[in-house]
Amino acid sequence: MSCRSEQFTGGVVLKLLPLLLPYLLLFMAGIFLCLAQSMGKFLPVPSSLQNFEAYVRIFEDSSFYACFAFSLYVAFLSTIISVISGAFLAYGLWKLPAWLRQAGIIYKIPLILPHIAVGFVVLVFWSKTGILASVAHTLGVIDSADSFPNILYAGNGLGMILAYALKGTSFVMLMLLALLSGFDQRQVQSARMLGASRFRIFFRVVLPRLMPGIHTSFIILFLYSFGAFDIPYLLSESQPGMLSIRVYNLFFKRDLVNRPEAMAILVLMFLFAAVFIFLYSRAVSGLSSSERKI
Amino acid sequence: MKNLIFFSLCALLFISPLLVLTVYSFAPGWKFPQLIPEHLSARAFVFIYQQWTAIGKSIFISVLYSLASVLLTLIMCYFPAAVLAQKEFKGKKLVEGFLITPALVPPMSFALGLHYMLIKLGLADTFTGVVLILSIFSYPYMLRALMAGFQVLGNRYSLCAQNLGAGFWRTLFRVELPLLLPALVAGGSVVFLVAFSEYFLVFLIGGGAVPSFTGYLFPLLTSSDRSLASLLSLGFLLVPLLLFLFLEMTITRIYRKKGMN
Repeated sequence: MSCRSEQFTGGVVLKLLPLLLPYLLLFMAGIFLCLAQSMGKFLPVPSSLQNFEAYVRIFEDSSFYACFAFSLYVAFLSTIISVISGAFLAYGLWKLPAWLRQAGIIYKIPLILPHIAVGFVVLVFWSKTGILASVAHTLGVIDSADSFPNILYAGNGLGMILAYALKGTSFVMLMLLALLSGFDQRQVQSARMLGASRFRIFFRVVLPRLMPGIHTSFIILFLYSFGAFDIPYLLSESQPGMLSIRVYNLFFKRDLVNRPEAMAILVLMFLFAAVFIFLYSRAVSGLSSSERKI
Repeated sequence: MKNLIFFSLCALLFISPLLVLTVYSFAPGWKFPQLIPEHLSARAFVFIYQQWTAIGKSIFISVLYSLASVLLTLIMCYFPAAVLAQKEFKGKKLVEGFLITPALVPPMSFALGLHYMLIKLGLADTFTGVVLILSIFSYPYMLRALMAGFQVLGNRYSLCAQNLGAGFWRTLFRVELPLLLPALVAGGSVVFLVAFSEYFLVFLIGGGAVPSFTGYLFPLLTSSDRSLASLLSLGFLLVPLLLFLFLEMTITRIYRKKGMN
């Protein structure tokens, strides 16, 4: 492998071209059109919202802030749950004897199921007349469907959080088990022999090894659940909704005149994602360099 | 014992959804507060049998555009992955960072703009349009997998082949691709799953003119017939599993033939 640093030469550009072309002509063009339409240009039907008027309208609307905060809350909580449960389950699975670990492949089931099917599973389990309500009834905890807590449509987004967390847990496990497979079990055993508690072993020996995978999964899952459409479309409540549903309603359901506003929200979501990736990776690299000093 | 308890916990979390979906498929009348359904019926299976032309077509087209996305992302990512994995140049980190963004930013942000462009190009509501949008959304997974593969492989093998007189295509098809097969399968599986299970992008660009399994399933998920929805949801597990099994068997057979392990 050549370690000589070359200039960004013609040869490199040529070999990157199969990817650079679609990247520019489809992805960047899509983003550019989104930006242009948010400012009233290139619209199928002319809109009265020109330049930054759509943005002004958004920022003056208090329900936008509510939707934004709600999307952040759903994304953050579901990602935190996924990362914590995924890390513990991956570590537990890795410690199992080989024959049980092989059967542990079942953790991939929610990864294969599409988001809408996982949303359906949440619906079947957690609705007021769902499986868990039946279990609670059989155990005598509740006497009718009405006394089962309102999980799905109480306005707190719990249904979406559960669906994202189930899918996310599997995803985190996939990322972390890949890291763990290169990690020697004997390191845990020697820490044990030197008298470290289970708690200490997990947090001081295993977790530092998992941090790169945890950071990557955090970024991916957080941004996905922040902006995705499938699960909110199936499980969301009306007020305050996820931003993606707000965009969908503005784009498809109401007047074409509102299109710049839908696009402006998307531009803001895109900027948020870009800033989040930038700040998160800077914070992580700052953290790991200060760790190295210690 | 402790191991078994932990494993049962995992099984409860990951298997119980499958179990409930399976039971629902056989018990259309399963309602609160029955813990175990009182009546079993094959109604959902009969429905699928009767509607097979439509369902089979939607599954077939879904598999087809997912496979086409795998192929297109492979073509898009192959040489760029080799360059990014094996060459050092200025601004490489930046290029890598930018190329990974389509998998991270909200897909709506480029999809709705792109939708307008595809309408102008006459590609909206077409199979090609669906493959394009799915590929631009999912290629980062292929790129990452191939880059990892190239990093492990290095360029020694292709240099050897070229020194022995193999041309460009011969090196590609007889040396590099077979050695990269594991990375290719890893990236391809993720791209296939992402494409096969995507609902919104297919519904947006396909516009109902391109049938899809997710598009067929979605209205049923919110309907009152949970039996049919459960049975079809299980299809989403079955189709990729059968495909992966077929792939695994084919690869093993090829490797055996060539005497590799």
